[in-house]
Amino acid sequence: MGLAEKFASTPVRDLNLREMPICDVGATVKEAVEKLQEARVGCAMATEDGKPVGMFTEGLLRESFAQNPGVIDETIAAHMAAPFPKVYLDDTVDMVLAAMQANNTRFICVVDADEQIVGLTGQKGLMEFVAEEFPRQVMVQRIGDTSTTNQREGA
Amino acid sequence: MAESNQPPIPDDEFADPLENYDAPDYADPLEEALDTRRVSDLQAQPCETISVDTTVADAVKKLATIHHACLLVEEGGRLAGMFTDRDLLDRVVLEYQECRDQPVHTVMIPDPVYVSESDSPAAVLAVMAVSGYRHVPVLDADGMIAGVVSPRRITEFLLEHSPSE
Repeated sequence: MGLAEKFASTPVRDLNLREMPICDVGATVKEAVEKLQEARVGCAMATEDGKPVGMFTEGLLRESFAQNPGVIDETIAAHMAAPFPKVYLDDTVDMVLAAMQANNTRFICVVDADEQIVGLTGQKGLMEFVAEEFPRQVMVQRIGDTSTTNQREGA
Repeated sequence: MAESNQPPIPDDEFADPLENYDAPDYADPLEEALDTRRVSDLQAQPCETISVDTTVADAVKKLATIHHACLLVEEGGRLAGMFTDRDLLDRVVLEYQECRDQPVHTVMIPDPVYVSESDSPAAVLAVMAVSGYRHVPVLDADGMIAGVVSPRRITEFLLEHSPSE
């Protein structure tokens, strides 16, 4: 099966989903930044009464912070993307690709049929998928200025 | 021209060294493009660069002005580092008063993993998947900065070469 066919037939649930940090919509930007740092991801979901209402990303932080470094004391409500890009667990991987391009984002929220947050995917998950499914094409590549033999196990 | 000491090989004894070579068999156009195209085909331009001496405050302003998530940091035209949204998040936002007037090299990623213009797009995917970098600098044959492959560009590449329904 080819790569494009894999994209079109593999459900999102088969990707290595990352845990989505959750912040209350009333949390400050500073609190959200601390959560992102702790989780080592660039995106958090803002919730209100437990329901997802918007997405706060490092890209949105960049735009807001450059305008006014004081935004770190404001709530994330004014600095989040709403509505936010999402896919369902049973959607296929090519829909992640399409959602990333349509929304010009690296982060896509994954929800279940009840609209509950299941995890986070996006560019990283997609690249990992390609590398795992097609190691002959991807994993034999030289990375950086290290010689290939130095990167290979047993070399 | 010097003459070879080797006697000519009769035609019936010649063995083609590529006789057993199997050309790569690609399952679809996307796999073929990943393997056979070059990073130079990815249109890794424009890329924005700043000097290692640029202040953190100016680097942050530039990122926001051009609406890019990544600046390449150069020293004498050569790649010295990379300053991205993630560096802003991890090392700048909560310590801004202390670091705003510092040079950007104090908060950048030094010596980032890069690809060459002649590498295949699969090499970019390998860097993104294995090293975890989302922006991959591109160097030319002389080791000078030639561009950067962004997540958006690699997504476009995957879509461009995926067979349409």
